[in-house]
Amino acid sequence: MKKEKVQVRICVGTACFVQGGSDLLLYNDFVDPAVIAECEIEGCSCLEACKVNGEGAPYVMINGEVHSKVTQEEFAKLLTQAVKNA
Amino acid sequence: MNNIFIDVDYAQIYKHGQKIGGDVFLLSRNPDSNQIVCTLSDGLGSGVKANVLASLTAHMAHKLSFSPISLSHSAEIIMNTLPVCKERKISYSTFTIADIHYGENKENINVRLVEYDNPLSLRFSGSQKIAWTREKNELQRKNAFKKEIVQYSSFNMEVGERLIMFSDGVAQSGLGKSLPLGWRNSGVEAFVSDLISKEPDISSRELSAAIVQKAHSLDGMCSKDDITAVVVYIRRPRKTVIVTGPPFLKESDAILGEKLKAFDGRKIVSGGTTALIVSRLFNAKITVDLSCWSPDVPPASKMDGIDLVTEGMLTLSQVANVLEKKIPPASLPNTPVKKFVEILLDSDQIHFIVGTKINEAHQDPNIPVEIGIRRTIVGRLRSALEDIYLKETSQEYL
Repeated sequence: MKKEKVQVRICVGTACFVQGGSDLLLYNDFVDPAVIAECEIEGCSCLEACKVNGEGAPYVMINGEVHSKVTQEEFAKLLTQAVKNA
Repeated sequence: MNNIFIDVDYAQIYKHGQKIGGDVFLLSRNPDSNQIVCTLSDGLGSGVKANVLASLTAHMAHKLSFSPISLSHSAEIIMNTLPVCKERKISYSTFTIADIHYGENKENINVRLVEYDNPLSLRFSGSQKIAWTREKNELQRKNAFKKEIVQYSSFNMEVGERLIMFSDGVAQSGLGKSLPLGWRNSGVEAFVSDLISKEPDISSRELSAAIVQKAHSLDGMCSKDDITAVVVYIRRPRKTVIVTGPPFLKESDAILGEKLKAFDGRKIVSGGTTALIVSRLFNAKITVDLSCWSPDVPPASKMDGIDLVTEGMLTLSQVANVLEKKIPPASLPNTPVKKFVEILLDSDQIHFIVGTKINEAHQDPNIPVEIGIRRTIVGRLRSALEDIYLKETSQEYL
């Protein structure tokens, strides 16, 4: 059976974009291409997470779960983890 | 906002090898007195001397048109002030003045036209030529070898009509080369009529540029005189609405949706949360286009029924920068800002719907100060659009 891809949404709202979200959009540069191939990465105009818990931008949603203050390093880790678990 | 727009633009090519032109065009809009004055003046010869004389004439004509002095009297004053060339015994510059008056809602557009020695202006309704009568006045000046004829006319213009004024560089293009007597008025008339029937909505900017380009090509791309064409086009305005920021009250979301749906024109949504609200109301999916963005400008999105969906404050402040610095959109990198500016420059009336809800996420002290206050940025955009690009703008808070 074909494995389902990991659904990734990066918030590109103003607050997220200026606080590191723009770095995450460069995922091709720092995430393993094999991992990227297993993910479906898309942008999102606002995840509306900043208004709920306010833990800190940028926010990323991976398979429905919201992560806050995601750095490039963490993003790569989170994706690798998610692909492994899928 | 009114439903009629007076689109005035011109195009110009100097005589080959000249860095300064002997044709001068001046345009002023005076909304207080509901008046637009266009003056086209052609100085004798070319280069600096011609430019000084044409500028002198155009500015005189312009200033006098805004004064309470009657147009015929103004023309007389100008004619008497213009120096007459010692050798040729003709005056140094010619002019065409179009003094456009309109009613409160840009209705009853009346044009008073004064023509002195420039090729006669043309009028079109759609692609059909309109003929009209001119009153000829003779003026004998000291030292001049012949009587000067100044032609006056007054007429009303309706939506879809155009008034085209040009210098002799256009009418005489191709003289002795491709055409024995030059392009002449009849040639210009046929060209314009043909072009309008092909492109009925052609803007003044494009039409004037097309006339000038054609004249230039008839001259073998080596213009023999300054070539200038002016087009006045009465048309329905091209409208754009920009929605930015969520409404203060959640109940107002529906009002926002209704306003956006009812708007007849192009629609821009600027702001992540605003885009989410609109997508909910329109039941349309937002897809972020990750292919075009830069570190300064977040990517744009696509949504059915909306022409452009962008991020809010960063994009808007970049758009304001581009407009204030008068950067041509063609030279911009492929980011949402380029598309945004193109839409704005392609519109006549721009309406802003500004949501006043405070964005909690922007209250974070880590956010750069560049992300200012929405109202300030909208204010900057409006003044740039009005002062630099002569657009009409309006705004409402929600």
